[in-house]
Amino acid sequence: MRVERITEEAGQVSQNVFEFLRAPEPEASCSQAADASPSVFRLTSQGAADAGVRARLALGARECARRWFEMQRDLVSLPLSPAVRVKLASAGFQTAEELLEVKPSELSKEVGISKEEALETLQIIRRECLTNKTSYSVTAESGRKCTALELLEQEHTQNFIITFCSALDNILGGGIPLTKTTEICGAPGVGKTQLCMQLAIDVQIPECFGGVEGEAVFIDTEGSFMVDRVVDLATACIQHLQLIAGTHMEEEHPKALQDFTLENILSHIYYFRCRDYTELLAQVYLLSDFLSEHSKVRLVIVDGIAFPFRHDLDDLSLRTRLLNGLAQQMISLANNHRLAGKVGDMLLQYGLSFTGTKSKDGISLEKELATRSSNLAWKTPWTEEPGRLQPVGSQESDTT
Amino acid sequence: MGVLRAGLCPGLTQDMVQLLQSRGIKTVVDLVCADLEEVAQKCGLSYKALVALRRVLLAQFSAFPFNGADLYEELKTSTAILSTGIGSLDKLLDAGLYTGEVTEIVGAPGSGKTQVCLCVAAHVAHGLQQNVLYIDSNGGLTASRILQLLQARSPDEEEQAGALQRIQVVRAFDIFQMLDVLQDLRGAVSQQVSSSSGTLKVVVVDSVAAVVAPLLGGQQREGLALMMQLARELKTLARDLSVAVLVTNHMTRDRDSGQLKPALGRSWSFVPSTRLLLDSTQSSGSLGSWRVVCLTKSPRLPTGCQETVDLGSLGTPEQSPVFQGDHT
Repeated sequence: MRVERITEEAGQVSQNVFEFLRAPEPEASCSQAADASPSVFRLTSQGAADAGVRARLALGARECARRWFEMQRDLVSLPLSPAVRVKLASAGFQTAEELLEVKPSELSKEVGISKEEALETLQIIRRECLTNKTSYSVTAESGRKCTALELLEQEHTQNFIITFCSALDNILGGGIPLTKTTEICGAPGVGKTQLCMQLAIDVQIPECFGGVEGEAVFIDTEGSFMVDRVVDLATACIQHLQLIAGTHMEEEHPKALQDFTLENILSHIYYFRCRDYTELLAQVYLLSDFLSEHSKVRLVIVDGIAFPFRHDLDDLSLRTRLLNGLAQQMISLANNHRLAGKVGDMLLQYGLSFTGTKSKDGISLEKELATRSSNLAWKTPWTEEPGRLQPVGSQESDTT
Repeated sequence: MGVLRAGLCPGLTQDMVQLLQSRGIKTVVDLVCADLEEVAQKCGLSYKALVALRRVLLAQFSAFPFNGADLYEELKTSTAILSTGIGSLDKLLDAGLYTGEVTEIVGAPGSGKTQVCLCVAAHVAHGLQQNVLYIDSNGGLTASRILQLLQARSPDEEEQAGALQRIQVVRAFDIFQMLDVLQDLRGAVSQQVSSSSGTLKVVVVDSVAAVVAPLLGGQQREGLALMMQLARELKTLARDLSVAVLVTNHMTRDRDSGQLKPALGRSWSFVPSTRLLLDSTQSSGSLGSWRVVCLTKSPRLPTGCQETVDLGSLGTPEQSPVFQGDHT
């Protein structure tokens, strides 16, 4: 490593960087030399220049090593508010370590921010720096770090939400997967909302029947959720499960069916109506608190994610940004709370993905949502045959 | 540069700091740029002390120059070339991924970027027996797919398990989480906390566009600063830890010409030293598994070279460089 070579030049031989850092301070010898002879500062004597150069090499190397190993975090990389960051920069603070020893009152006076802001800033910085220092030998918080082997074991035990349509389940590889987002797109009237409502019921199927036994959140932007249709679907599902329980003579099936009543099913679907994109964004961002309270939720459906963004939004770059942020928020929720996010998207008839006002803009919603599991596209051909379901991509090949 | 504080360097006492601050000298830059005789007169400090102080501060805070020959020697000893496991990609990358550099794969959705990343991870973990850090930011990673790729390589289950253990997976869904992850990586290496099997050689970031795109555009300029912070972290990580960094990026449509181009703008286009474009071949339609890879930016080879990759048979021996080398 670079530092070893430099230490040789500086006349010190150390085997590794830690020894070097523990070596007595070379700056002390430099300043001692400075105090000893005033001629040093005439900048002419060779001895002084040599001492200066050597000390400088040693200092430079030491500083390189220290900066690298002490990991001075730039303030830009911390989630502070922009106004506070600008004021900190103009006061000369650049790294987080410089702020660690400062008291809030001193900071607010020096930088010119209020005491509450100073306190909040210091809390963020201390939390970031101290968690970094303590958690190196342990896996990071919330178990975000794991090896691929552990991930494989998790995936083997992972459940799917069955859709009660065996063709669909086949192409999806078992059903709607948990911890991933799935997008369903299709022309208007093709059946996306129906499928969403069916899934809101299917997620509640008890485990002994192969279900996930969870609850569902339904975020509706188009107002197409019809409760009487849900009642029909739920009644049909209960009858279907009763038939299955009839053929299996085990104890647990009828017991589980006792809880699977119409009132229970309906009460476990949490319905939110969002009328414009602001409400949708707010709802999705507040969803993580909601999910922490209702830990049994396993499915989040957003019916019509494109609808609020179609009109009223002239600024296209804002739309792209919002959609990207929404996509990341959803995948983050899906991952952290182990649920399946599902999005029903309305397309125009030509089978193109979300186009909107700018028809040349081929940015598809699938890109913005970047769903990685499946995109199911209903293609209704002009000859008016009943719509055939085609898998645009499936989880196995994971290419399209 | 830092704010002047007592104890920043020997010779800088609290009294001196206060005297300097009262004259408007708060940071190291201010002191180094100031006229020391004037400061000595105004603050009542000795000229000698101030000059000594300036020397020490300059030595401490200035960048360290390198001899070009030393740099070359260092590069020769520390750079490694890691094969990607896909013969046609290796041809475009001049034998593989170079450590110390950032390589980028760009493509439309569904063009196979994640598949290529998974193949690289599987090959490095199994074939080269080195550790891989996979930072997933859009949920595209499934361990079952890595297992499939490994199974195509070797039927031995112990080897597969060993290779899977060498791939560390971290999930980071926004920019601050990703910066935290990179910071943690530095810390882990510095404290020499590493697994016993092999050293970290590849960091895959899939994808960068997912975490940066929500920030760019509009009135705010914070997004650009954060993106460049991420770029700097990745590049210094590549150089200091001698790892190869592989990132993926989306495509967007150019507003004026309607052509597809890599996302994240011009500023990001300077960050990776090599850029590969993945495109679906028109002939087989979007359901085929063949992709055309085009080299659009490279420090070593002429741009515009194209190769084809079959995503359906990634990881199998026909794709490996040894086989492909016979066919040129």
